[in-house]
Amino acid sequence: MKAMKDADVIIIGGGIMGCSIAWQLAKAGASVIVFERHDICSGSAGATDGVVGYHTKQPGPQMDLAVASIQMFPQLQKELGEQIEFDFTAGGLQPAEDELQWQILSEIAEKQRESGVDIRMIRTDEACALEPQLAHDIVGALYCPTSGKVNPMNLTMAFAGAARRHGAVFLTETEVTAILVKEGQAVGIRTSKGDFYADAVVNAAGSWAAQVAALPGAELPIPIVPKRGQLAVTEPVGFFMKATVQCALYNIIKFWPERVSDKRLLSLGASLSIEQTANGGMIIGCTRELVGFERHNSFEAMELITKRAMRFFPALEQVSVIRFFTGFRPTTPDGRPMLGEISRLPGFYMAAGHEGDGIALAPVTGKVLADLILEGHTDLNISAFDANRFF
Amino acid sequence: MNDDILICRCQEVTRQEIIDAIHEGAVTVDGVKRRTRAGMGLCQGKTCGRLVARLIAEETGRPLSEIEPQYARMPVRPIEIGIFSREDPEA
Repeated sequence: MKAMKDADVIIIGGGIMGCSIAWQLAKAGASVIVFERHDICSGSAGATDGVVGYHTKQPGPQMDLAVASIQMFPQLQKELGEQIEFDFTAGGLQPAEDELQWQILSEIAEKQRESGVDIRMIRTDEACALEPQLAHDIVGALYCPTSGKVNPMNLTMAFAGAARRHGAVFLTETEVTAILVKEGQAVGIRTSKGDFYADAVVNAAGSWAAQVAALPGAELPIPIVPKRGQLAVTEPVGFFMKATVQCALYNIIKFWPERVSDKRLLSLGASLSIEQTANGGMIIGCTRELVGFERHNSFEAMELITKRAMRFFPALEQVSVIRFFTGFRPTTPDGRPMLGEISRLPGFYMAAGHEGDGIALAPVTGKVLADLILEGHTDLNISAFDANRFF
Repeated sequence: MNDDILICRCQEVTRQEIIDAIHEGAVTVDGVKRRTRAGMGLCQGKTCGRLVARLIAEETGRPLSEIEPQYARMPVRPIEIGIFSREDPEA
């Protein structure tokens, strides 16, 4: 006989993924409990920028997934009933500093266009007309008019609030200590507040997903590691820029690291990503560093990030940084998230490993996981994100 | 006490908004910050951080000494971006 269950689905992790999945499931009528060690939005979604861009996505399956996700954003603003500060007219720009970068970006853009997104190369005059503060000594830019931006903390809280209104329960300050398995199937979890049973258990623990998967009962070797991202936020200023701007190195480091000759830049994964928030402050990043869970800022990165910002936006010289901060990007060996059920542990689902694309991919991740758990399939082709591909 | 009183002056967050955030689940100063923006302004919570901690203690019944303060980050005071690029900061 099956033990009495506490919910249809248990979600581990109250970050942007867990909250998005909880909302989709609860909206579809499932009972859900979210278990969170600290607090809602206490991890990476509260320690990042709000870029919701097509142009920073790996061409191919990741771009297709981004297209499906970003198309959900305009509707989210209405459905969640809260201000998520989504601006889908912002646009995304990637200035190139020389002809080589222009050439590389052109190749990337050509592949990205295969997913049906408007991404094109524009010359300096057009780029500077779009963003008058942009330095004029560039050779041009990659431009995606439909890339947007959002407030990731508001979005996470809005997912959680909407999930609660549909009956989802959030147990914060609750640590998961084991996965409960019966006859080879995940049937629940052991926590600091007792045992809980459900038909499905979802690992949405982000950068901590490997630790959750390694818990007694599951003992799965999930290859997700944290990459530290360092960012700065400035004092609020008047209107400064509309688009989110990533320098060409952002995509080159992400897709073709072998083409980067500067070893220091490469080891820090340092490039510029900048946007102005609804509040008026500029968020300036970023780095991608393999330093475990070390969460301090480094002087080296602070100097690099601010220099890089001034190189492209000289007028920032007299704008003050009020805070540096870091966040962890959950990274898989191929840069793509792990989505779906683990074959060797039925009932145990993965929804983690989105690296720096978590904010943009959160809506579709919620939908995909809810469809897989409730319907047993999803209409999207997610074979490139198979949770079993690493073992 | 007047619930409309500003606790975070930088971001104009009222006592009532902070109490609502605590009732919604915030148990740390950073938890209140992520829900209300209190502590995200120019002073980075130097003024309101302790007031927020006290409100959390009052509303949750936990001892003030156990309320986690905001996570302190550099810089201690606002620094112009241009300063980071100078070869000689004294010049």
